[in-house]
Amino acid sequence: MLRTIKPRNARSKRALDAREPKEVEDARTAIFVRGTHTGEVVGAVMKELMALKKPYAISFSKKNTIRPFEDASSFEFWAQKNDASMFIVGQSTKKRPNGLVIARTFDSKVLDMCELGVDKFVSMSELKTPKSTPGHKPMIHFASELFDTHPRYVQLKSLLMDLFNAEIVDSICLPGLEHVISVTVGPSPPQAPSVAVGGTQQEDTKNLPKVHLRTYTIKLSPSGTRVPRVELTEMGPSLDLSLRRCQEADPALWKAAMKRPKLKKQDIEKGLGKKKKNMEVDEMGDLRGRVHIARQDLNKLQTRKMKGLKGRPGEEDVDMGGGASEDEDEGDESPRRKKRREE
Amino acid sequence: MDVSNLLASHAAKFQSVTVEKETPLDVDAGFLTVTDLNPIDEESYRSNLEEYLQSTARDGTQALIAALYALPTQLSPDGPLAQLPPPTTALPRAKPLPKPKAPTKWELFAAAKGIQKQHREKKIWDEEKQEWVNRWGRDGKNKEKEEQWINEVKANAAVDFDPVQATRNARKARVAKNERQKLQNIARSQAVREERSERKIEIERTLASTRTSTASMGRFDKKLEGDKKMRGVKRKFDPTEASAEQEKQASLALLSKLDGEAKRRSKDTGGDNVLNVRKAIRSVSRGKGGVALGRDAGRGGAKGKRGGKR
Repeated sequence: MLRTIKPRNARSKRALDAREPKEVEDARTAIFVRGTHTGEVVGAVMKELMALKKPYAISFSKKNTIRPFEDASSFEFWAQKNDASMFIVGQSTKKRPNGLVIARTFDSKVLDMCELGVDKFVSMSELKTPKSTPGHKPMIHFASELFDTHPRYVQLKSLLMDLFNAEIVDSICLPGLEHVISVTVGPSPPQAPSVAVGGTQQEDTKNLPKVHLRTYTIKLSPSGTRVPRVELTEMGPSLDLSLRRCQEADPALWKAAMKRPKLKKQDIEKGLGKKKKNMEVDEMGDLRGRVHIARQDLNKLQTRKMKGLKGRPGEEDVDMGGGASEDEDEGDESPRRKKRREE
Repeated sequence: MDVSNLLASHAAKFQSVTVEKETPLDVDAGFLTVTDLNPIDEESYRSNLEEYLQSTARDGTQALIAALYALPTQLSPDGPLAQLPPPTTALPRAKPLPKPKAPTKWELFAAAKGIQKQHREKKIWDEEKQEWVNRWGRDGKNKEKEEQWINEVKANAAVDFDPVQATRNARKARVAKNERQKLQNIARSQAVREERSERKIEIERTLASTRTSTASMGRFDKKLEGDKKMRGVKRKFDPTEASAEQEKQASLALLSKLDGEAKRRSKDTGGDNVLNVRKAIRSVSRGKGGVALGRDAGRGGAKGKRGGKR
């Protein structure tokens, strides 16, 4: 465990406060960790992924004896020490060559992990094409129906989105969009109905279709309409990945991680929360409302008042009184009134 | 006039920026993400992989760009800023939600008394200097008495009474008191949930989940000595003996509920189904109405009472 630090000056206090939980979180910082043996390919892959992830990336240049699926305690320590919540571990062993583990944490505890094997890798430097500016936000494109149905691919999509784009921003500069990361899953093998249901873990991973990760720069050309036409140029890195082991999130931890903050009243008026009916903020920033009135009851319309049309005194009392009191106390009655009632 | 040529060129223009797919693309503009849930075209995937990947990526990106350019924009020196909607994809948080700050003792008191918080300016107007000075801190107004060159001393003051030192001590005591209260507030907020109890809950939860994690859901497991029985949800009952005050409250609540129900029913139908109350009142009061009837009844009753006393 880390010792708890008591801030001794304003600067260190500010630094500690910045690490406190926030309602709207910043992007996840990722730590790139080398395992006992990394190998040339995985080392290069990590370097390039880090180039995409910068400035929210920390590199651990030394080797670490780490087996994420057996003991994840190191992750917890590193997450606390570096205020990071994502890990990319590169490790190449005889049994699992060119392995890449993506792990994310919640509250410095490991939430879920996914191991990927790098089957093919094309570096940025191999492709002599224009590159994107470091630090710009990428767009992400996922293509496969499996990203909606298969739990492994749903998890992978969630992990990749968290890795590259998990920051909530309220506006983005449109000319600043320079590159797109495209993730496509190959067709599932024909005799693999067991993809979703059966088989052991070992069998399962062999049947899972490959994942192709490509990075393209975009070129916008005018099309005569407001929306420009998009052309893509491959930028690199290009990866062909296969799914290996994975660790699902603990349900209780997942539930805690998925808690959303309550929206503020101001946000609701802006339309971020549940939209309120008949309310809108106009261009001047004023809140305008629309009121709907029920159909007018013409029987109650006040027409010209005339003496002859006036009701008897006390008539209103009957209407208002309802069943307030009914005593059997008989008052005197005038013959004139009785006469009128008989009419 | 033949406009088919014009129309064709216009359509071609639009075709280049619109994407037609079987399943419409799922765009999450808040995270700049687009998901294409259409199945893979296996033929082109096998024949020319890179080209196929690039074309699907282009279609997806085109749809995303179209969605982004449709958003309201603001001008900025670097180009138009698109106002992004909140993301629709739910991603797990990295840290738990911030805990609300525990209220201080004063805040609790103020809330109970309905005292509104007032903003206190840091600067204060000095009549003599004719300028704004700090309320506290450097050249603060609260040190005015200590720094003035002459002080009033009461006639019966002790011989060694130092007015400057006295006011300074009083000020320092106020600061110390504030510090003490602050520490007390912090201690009170931390006492709410201790670390130990939190860990105990966590261990119990882990134990409970491991005991039901075998194939038989823990049914055929060997029982260890001292193993506690797993508990489910317990029913709760009110205590049989309650204070008179509580009992009264409960009964009144029940009565008022019944009363309210009866009122509601009478309002709905205007009395029960047998008697038309409005009609009855009208006939009894001879058309004067219920209020007049009540007035008369009250007068008669009061008279009667007074008469009885005499």
